[in-house]
Amino acid sequence: MTTSVLGSQALAYEWIKFRSVRSTVWTTVATALLPVLGAVFVATTGSLQSDDTVLGGSLTLSVVAQMLAAVVGALVMTGEYSSGTIRTTFAARPRRSTVLAAKAALVAGVMYVLALASCTLAYLLGDALLPEGRYAQGDPLPALFGIAASFAVAAVLGLAVGTLVRHSAGAVTTVIGLLLLPSLFGPLFGDAERWIAGLSPTAALEKLIQTSDAAADTVGSLGPWPSLLLVAAYTTALALGALVLLRRRDV
Amino acid sequence: MIEATELTKRYGDRTAVDRLSFTVRPGRVTGFLGPNGAGKSTTMRLILGLDSATAGRVTVGGKAYADLPVPLRAVGSLLDAKGVHGGRSAYHHLAGLAASNGIPRHRVEEVLDLVGLPEEAARRRTKGFSLGMGQRLGIAAALIGDPEVLILDEPVNGLDTEGIRWIRGLMRSLAAEGRTVFLSSHLMSEMELTADHIVVIGQGRLLADTTMRDFIETNSRAHTLVRSPEPEKLRALLETAGAQVRLEPTGGWRVEGPDAAAIGDLARDHGVAVHELTPAHSSLEEVYTALSQSSVEYRTEDRSTVDRSTVDRSTEDRSTDDRPAAPSPKETVR
Repeated sequence: MTTSVLGSQALAYEWIKFRSVRSTVWTTVATALLPVLGAVFVATTGSLQSDDTVLGGSLTLSVVAQMLAAVVGALVMTGEYSSGTIRTTFAARPRRSTVLAAKAALVAGVMYVLALASCTLAYLLGDALLPEGRYAQGDPLPALFGIAASFAVAAVLGLAVGTLVRHSAGAVTTVIGLLLLPSLFGPLFGDAERWIAGLSPTAALEKLIQTSDAAADTVGSLGPWPSLLLVAAYTTALALGALVLLRRRDV
Repeated sequence: MIEATELTKRYGDRTAVDRLSFTVRPGRVTGFLGPNGAGKSTTMRLILGLDSATAGRVTVGGKAYADLPVPLRAVGSLLDAKGVHGGRSAYHHLAGLAASNGIPRHRVEEVLDLVGLPEEAARRRTKGFSLGMGQRLGIAAALIGDPEVLILDEPVNGLDTEGIRWIRGLMRSLAAEGRTVFLSSHLMSEMELTADHIVVIGQGRLLADTTMRDFIETNSRAHTLVRSPEPEKLRALLETAGAQVRLEPTGGWRVEGPDAAAIGDLARDHGVAVHELTPAHSSLEEVYTALSQSSVEYRTEDRSTVDRSTVDRSTEDRSTDDRPAAPSPKETVR
């Protein structure tokens, strides 16, 4: 049997599991809704900084939505451990690398597509609702593709953490901490803030949406695309580490 | 065919499975017996590659489980912990499994039908399932790939009498089709009715790997139950004749040594009336209890019981099981 057949069967299995449980479905729906709701809220209340862009203002809540994407990634693995279905899964597909790769492809694919649609819609809504000419427009293209990719990367990061931690509550806390704490505690580190806050997936997203929050002195001067690449790189490393552990551990 | 060779699993300094070698052949039901904590579930997880062996190996159809190209078509398994997500419907659980191994979707309806789970129940989330329904779903999952080998951990757990009879019939018919059926239980009475061959373990070690009949015949001693209106006189006679006589908990004597004919003759020669004279073999329950007594890990009773006779111990077991104290039909059958 070829690897591609194995891969597509594993993916089909993960897709059925993903869409047949409420926790993953609703968290995913919330991920897709948040940026749109945020755009409407920000535009109707006019709650933008004067130096904000239309793109950045419209996508204010995409930062929160990205955290939810990471939570979905974590739940896809931890839900299996808490219910014991991980044994069923590995009995059906004993090659654990295939299982992890299928889960990663699934959450990354779902999040990329949903985030692209949702963030594009949010931008269009914000653009339509905000008064013409008061704010800088920002460059939606190709940034929106990067924004969607940052959701996919966050979901894989969540999956890696979920694989390492195995417990839902622990994994969700860890993953939100990873995304939230750098910008929360960054200011405590003085000049090092832009290194600490700049490393987080949140910083990459903020740079991509061109918000006024993404100033060089808080999140570093590394450009939006290199930031995204950096996050993708350490996410890949973490996922590979998780795979090593996944293959070695008894279930 | 399942072959374990010197299979060993250690967790830290605790050895759960200790150089275990056995073969499970096709065409018959093989029972996997052992008290709780003997290593049955660990062995099954090792067969399925869920836990990795510390030493030794185990193969299914000559291959390690991880090397099976389409695992669910080769091996169906039901583990002790159900492995079903409470928030997912039975239908989606099975549909996912089918998809994972390229099994056509219509097989889901077939196995639901086979295990007697109605369509509308299968569409509900499994959280509300009774133990029995959960167990039927587990069996359905095991059968989804129409596998040659079935590995079932405690399949009758939580089933009612009708369910237990159904599993028994299903296992026997699957074995009759030439499949390999390997099922664990800690209930001897259940195994005695279902299995043709047994593998017995205690503290992770192999205690027996033999046919059910051989196991009983080699391990159990024949005895005779005797009742008399003059019990003490008969007992004195029997003991003079060299028989071992013990009090049967249900009344009467349990006599080892002379067979029923010799006992009858002896009683007649001395003018002692005999009201019952029943040749019997120890039941599998008794044999097993005697065999595993030394290797039971978590025992609630006092150590002093170890020296007591087989019959005393099995009686004790039975009373803790809430079984009726009436003479067991199993004993007289053999």
